[in-house]
Formats: sequence, C-alpha cells, structure tokens
Amino acid sequence: MTLLGVVPSTFSGGAEALALVVLLTEFAMLRAPLSRSQIRLYAFQSLAVSSLAVFVAATQHIDDLYVLAGLSFVLKVVLVPGIVLRLLGDSPVDLAGSNRFGVATMVLFAIGISVFGFFVVGSLPVHSHSLPAPALGLAMAVILVAFLLVILRADVVSQAVGFFSLENGVSVASLVVAAGLPLIVEVAFLFDLLVAVVVFGVLMRVHHGRAKTLSTETLDRLRG
Amino acid sequence: MGDIQLASAQIQVLQVLTIVVFSPLVSGAIAHLEARWQGRRGPRILQPYYDLAKLFSKETLVPEDAGWVFVVGPMVAFMCYMVVPLLIPVLTTYPMPLGYMGDILGGAFILALAGFSVALAAAETGGPYAQLGSSRAMTFGALIEPSILFITFTVALLTTTDLPYFEAAAARASLSQVIRPAHLLVALAFFLVVLNDTGRIPVETHSSTLEFGMIDEARTLEHSGPLFALLRWGSAMKQMILYVLLVNVFVAPWGLAGSRAAGSVLLAIVILLGKAFGVGAIFTVIDNSFSKLRLFKITEFMAGAFLLAILAVLVLYLGGG
Repeated sequence: MTLLGVVPSTFSGGAEALALVVLLTEFAMLRAPLSRSQIRLYAFQSLAVSSLAVFVAATQHIDDLYVLAGLSFVLKVVLVPGIVLRLLGDSPVDLAGSNRFGVATMVLFAIGISVFGFFVVGSLPVHSHSLPAPALGLAMAVILVAFLLVILRADVVSQAVGFFSLENGVSVASLVVAAGLPLIVEVAFLFDLLVAVVVFGVLMRVHHGRAKTLSTETLDRLRG
Repeated sequence: MGDIQLASAQIQVLQVLTIVVFSPLVSGAIAHLEARWQGRRGPRILQPYYDLAKLFSKETLVPEDAGWVFVVGPMVAFMCYMVVPLLIPVLTTYPMPLGYMGDILGGAFILALAGFSVALAAAETGGPYAQLGSSRAMTFGALIEPSILFITFTVALLTTTDLPYFEAAAARASLSQVIRPAHLLVALAFFLVVLNDTGRIPVETHSSTLEFGMIDEARTLEHSGPLFALLRWGSAMKQMILYVLLVNVFVAPWGLAGSRAAGSVLLAIVILLGKAFGVGAIFTVIDNSFSKLRLFKITEFMAGAFLLAILAVLVLYLGGG
C-alpha cells in the first residue's frame, strides 16, 4: 500500500475525472449509431468542458473563466446542438456508421491513437498550475479521436460533430496550458466555432438536398 | 453475543457458507424484483431453493455417448465456486489465513476453470445447442479477458499488490482514493465485466428459452437432475461471487466486519445480503430498460469495457489519478 502516498488530491482527482468524461463522450460519439444521439453527446461533452472551466475558475480564482464557461454553455450546449438538430429535422433517421470498419475495430483504433497521444504529450515537460498534467494528455486524446471520427465515419453529421468536438478538445488543452488567456482570444475561438456551424450547416443542407441522404458514400462515385 | 470471538477457520468457513447458502436467495430476489417491474407477479423469492430440492430428488440421465467428463464437469465447477470465496473479502476487512493463497488473477483462473469444466461437460454430450453454448462461452470469455487483465493491472498499480483486500482497504482509506479517476474507471469496467459474466441483458437474456441467443445458458441444456441442480446452484454462486467482488472490492467496501466478534461477522452477512440485493436491483433496472445486443454486436460491448480498463492503466501510468 505504499502508493497511497501519491494519491491525487480531491481537486486534481475531480478535474481529471471531468477531463476523462470529455474523452469518454468522444468515444461514445465515435460509436453512437444515430446522428441525433451524436449531437446530444456533443452537447453533453460541451457541458463537461464548461463545468471544467467553472471548476478551474473556482479553484484558481480566474474570473474571466466564468464568463467563458457561461458563453460556451450558451453556445455549445444550447445553441449549436439546437441548430444542428433543427437542420436535421426533415432528414431520414438512418443508422450512420462507418462503411469501412466495425464499431469494435474503430474503438480499438481510437484506443491505439489515444495511447499514442498520451505518450507523446506525457514526454513533454509541461507543468500546469490550473489542471493536473494528465489532463493535457486527455485533451490530446480527445483531439486525435475527433480526427478519427471525421475520417472513419461516412456521414456529414459525424464530420460536423467531429469538428465541433475537436474544438472541445482544444478548449480543454487551453484550460491546462493557458488558463489565464485573455478573454478576447477565447471568445475569438468561440466565434470560429460559430463560423464552422454555419459552414457545416450549409454543407449538411446542400448534401442532403442533392443526395437525399446524410451519408457521404455517394460522393465516392462523383465524376468530374 | 458481541463478546464471542470466532476463530479464523470458523470465519473462513462462514465466508464459503454465506455464498453457498444465500446465493439462490439473491437469484430468487432478483427474479422476483424483475418480474414485479415488468408487471408480473413473478416467482416466490425462495423459488430457487424449491427448484434445487426438486432437481436433487430426480434421477441423473446421461446421454448415451457421454463419458465421465459429463458427470465430473458440474462437480468441478461447483467446487471451484466454493474455493473462490476463500480468496476474496466476503465478510471481513482483514485477510483470512487462506486469503493469501491466490490473488485476483488466481481467483479469475479458478472461475475460468469452472467455466471451462462446464463447457467441457457440455461439449461431451454432442448436443448441438450445448456445444454451441460452450463454444460461444469460450469465445466471449476470451474476448473479455483483456479487460480483466487490465483491471488487474490497475489494481496492481493502485495498491502495489494484486490482493483484493488491499484494493478494498485503499478505497476505505480516504474519499480522494474513491473519486480518483483510475478507481472510478476500473469500478465501471468491472461492472461491465460482471454484466457480461452473469449473462445479463446487453449480452444475454438469462431467462430466455430461445437457443439462438444463448451463451452461458445453452451449456446446461443437456444436463438433468442433480447435475443440473449443481450447475444452477453454481451459476447462482458465481453471480454472488462477482457481486461480492464488485461491492466489497470496488464500489462499496464498507460494512465489513473489522474484528472477529461473532456479532460483527453476523452483521456483515446481513449487510452483504443488502448490498447484493442493491446490485441485483441495479442489474434488474438495466435488464428491463435495454434490449439484448445482437450476437455479433457483443464485441462492441467488450470494446467498451476494454476502453475503460485500459484508460485506467494509462491515467495511472502518466502520473495522474
């Protein structure tokens, strides 16, 4: 029982658990069969990121972060999922999946790539005051799994949700590395997200309007 | 009553007896509760005991071509299930003298031996469904094995031993030990493993009579009479052993006897039953709110358990919780 000495404090344990929730939601998005449940998972993940921001704000006494947490709650938990769900309103409910790999294989890929992310970040000499260092590895894993989500799944919604959740991973990383970043920079990130929502919204509508499906499979057959 | 001190050997025997005697009760209570939540009246809580008594009073029928393995298999499995309670914290916070015989891996090996002997006995009959069940049980058993290994690694990293008593002691030691991410992840992963190993709903419908969806249940189709009773009783014991591991090692290692006083040991039995009913109730909720996964989708469930277990190791390895 000698390791009992290095038990993380309640603070860092709780913070890491929240960062883990972000990563596990990313995995859940990767395997969720329904586009709508992917979007709900994205809202939940954003909620976890906002809570993490509040957590850091409360423990590190950084008041700017409260504003950021509030903004990202309104935007990423309420507005963006709401808009995307509305856009999907008249699309057929089909089981979107990867046409290349099974779910278990995708999860194993994702485990492999997050291990890679963990070790790459673990070898960096990053010391953070705001969050325990493993949170950066977790953020890296979120980003890499989000890439996998975009690459492996063959539907437009996954690509949009993958991109949005990529931003969540970056948010967690920024909480670790630069929790005291000026508010204006953080708000600029959120503005980027809004632009992305518009772009992906147009993409989804146009693709759905032309192909009558959300799957990107038909794009393989395009000829110039 | 509280002044009577029990010898270690007595407590050790009591641990085994608790599992042997009360496991049908736990099964019966779960079946009853499940039926109630489905709007049925359900069987009596004591029904498993009546079933066992009925089966033991019947004759043993052995298929024509089956050899001695058919008869010995269920007995070996039953004995294995009686050995495991010696190794795990059933009633006490302190290890029993024989508790050092084996660690978590040792316990897992003995449970695997039990599963293997049942599968062998089933395969011996040559019955198609029994063989299908035993081959499926072995396949899925092998697929869940990586998760069990990584759970063991996590326990080893958390406590520097792999004795279940120390993991439970660590969780009792402080709150930050309970909410550390590695502990939460490993508890969740073990929960999924228990769900798989007790044949509960995302993996298997335990009360189904449809052979094509069966995994564990199909193995016992060819047995009858006392041998079938041993198999039924054994699977109830396995279920309770896994519940005990889940609550007394990972989720709620409180309420165990800290001394050898007869009163506190008896109280621990009562509390253990309460906790087992609680876990059973949670499993019943899951049973009633999800549908069974298609056979080829079960690997997805196992990938989920593996994900949680491997994340627990990784988080620890990177110097975190």
